[in-house]
Amino acid sequence: MRIGMVIDLEKCLGCRTCAVACKQHNAQPPGNWWNRVFTPGSKYHLIKPELGSQYFLPVSCQHCDNAACEKVCPVGATFYSKDKAVLVDYDRCIGCRYCMSACPYGVRQFNWEDPKETHKKIEWIEGGNNYGYQEEHKYDDRLVYSPIREKGIVEKCTFCVQYMDAGEKPACVRACTGEARVIGDLDDPNSEVSRMINNKGAYTLIPEKGTKPKVFYLPPKRKDN
Amino acid sequence: MKNYKLILNIVIALMLIGVISYIIQLTTGLVVTDMNNSYSWGLYIAGFAFFVGNAAGGMVLSASIYMFGLKALKPFAKIGALAAFANVIGAMLCVVIDIGQPFRLLNMLIYPNFSSPLIWDVIILSSYAVLSLLYFYVLRFPEIAPEKRILFKDVENAEEFSEKTAKTLAPIALLFAIGIHVVTAWIFATQGAREWWHSAVLAPDFVAVAVSAGTTLVFLFSIMVYGIKEEHKSAYKIMTRFISIAFFVHLFFMYNDFFIHAWYGNEHALHTLAVTLGDYWFVHLLEVVLPLMGILCLMKSKILTKAKVYRASFFILIGVLAHRFLIMPAAFNNLPLTISPMGQQNGNWEYPLASGRFMEGAELFITNHNYVPTFIEWSILIGVISTMTFVVVKWHKLAINK
Repeated sequence: MRIGMVIDLEKCLGCRTCAVACKQHNAQPPGNWWNRVFTPGSKYHLIKPELGSQYFLPVSCQHCDNAACEKVCPVGATFYSKDKAVLVDYDRCIGCRYCMSACPYGVRQFNWEDPKETHKKIEWIEGGNNYGYQEEHKYDDRLVYSPIREKGIVEKCTFCVQYMDAGEKPACVRACTGEARVIGDLDDPNSEVSRMINNKGAYTLIPEKGTKPKVFYLPPKRKDN
Repeated sequence: MKNYKLILNIVIALMLIGVISYIIQLTTGLVVTDMNNSYSWGLYIAGFAFFVGNAAGGMVLSASIYMFGLKALKPFAKIGALAAFANVIGAMLCVVIDIGQPFRLLNMLIYPNFSSPLIWDVIILSSYAVLSLLYFYVLRFPEIAPEKRILFKDVENAEEFSEKTAKTLAPIALLFAIGIHVVTAWIFATQGAREWWHSAVLAPDFVAVAVSAGTTLVFLFSIMVYGIKEEHKSAYKIMTRFISIAFFVHLFFMYNDFFIHAWYGNEHALHTLAVTLGDYWFVHLLEVVLPLMGILCLMKSKILTKAKVYRASFFILIGVLAHRFLIMPAAFNNLPLTISPMGQQNGNWEYPLASGRFMEGAELFITNHNYVPTFIEWSILIGVISTMTFVVVKWHKLAINK
């Protein structure tokens, strides 16, 4: 099993619900965003696209098969799960940020300060209004999710390992208003993701970097004004 | 060395400032630096590359005494080995101050990932530290009273043993001296994500810079402990030659790389050049002009004076530090996720990323960061430099040939 995702850009409305759901469900501290949606070509960020010439492109961890971050990690804190998702062991990461430099997609986020301190800046009281999935989650006895991160460690998209292990889909897939996101087994030629990739001509981001991403995109159709 | 006590006290004071700043960083996190998610390595890693570079010279010099028969350099062998040791310590400290979870440092020994060039570097740097200490001990061996020797206690002819062992160690030391630069360069050069680093010329270039800077440091130390001496004249000439040739080789490697990219005109590669030669043109000017001035000062002066050597080494070392600083901007201010948007004629568009630094009213999604090291970063780095200086000053008497 190789877990992968297809994002159909034709169906993406640019509502950014996936980014918000991702941030909320994974309790990301202020300043860190695992998932972001921009309009390629726009001069200013977070504006509506120009009709016919711009489109929305959501980017989060590409869960590469040849993941530079996994190879450079000096302590093996970044590792492949059994279905080849790329995960980070929060207990093992030493915070050298080598992976952030090696990742061509800019999806790795660092805890520059104690998230508890950043929470104060946004006047959020812990325990008062719980934010995100509240349990710690271990995969193979390794801490791959915790609602409050320690300072000085790296975090990123896990394909919502805490939900996937419980048989549920990632937050972004469930939240997508246009149903543009599909997750499934890339090794199974009959899975929905495989069929979408084969039949609809999916592409990956900056393939020239040789990272072999497992997130695929279906190009949007061009529109006449 | 005159003013020994004074120098030592100043160094200890600076070390204390460094320690205090480090405690602040340790308790509040790396938020006290000016780094962020897009500009994830800064002054500390530049310092790391700088010290690794300086560490080479000592052993290259010491090794060439025996391998190439440059006997004139012999009085400087011990200083070289000591300088090498101090710089490796500095380099390793730079890794410690840079990481977010220093208390987990032992994970590198418990769970080493052998595909990571950083692990190779830690291994080769620690071996090099041990090797340079051993080399220092062997060179000093005849001067140590027999009852005070820690290793090789039953050797009878100390002079002969020292000479012979140093000869055997020389080629090994040279290999490691080159190895630390190659592996350090590989930390950067293996990153296919960063156009600026992903070049086969980076490792040879690191070696060239190292020979130039490392020799400068040994030159400086030897003038500090011996002063200018008539009988060392030929050694000065050889060292000046090492410094200048290595620096010209470095210039060739650097501009060769620039030229190839500029000629082909790939937009992404041109952007890296625009960062180095445009945004940071002044730092680039420093990295080229200062060392050239230093070298000219050493080559042109008929009568060397202490002041001239100090000035020249200062120019060269500051220039090399500027060169190391420039490792970062063109790599981090040129995002790898630069795409050609579908259906548009203009090609290069950088995909913004979250800075990770939440501040009210500040731009959160960025493509560019004008990195300026904070006071804390500088004072911690100065703390590292003074720790190295402490090692050298404290032990410099052991390095003098009587």
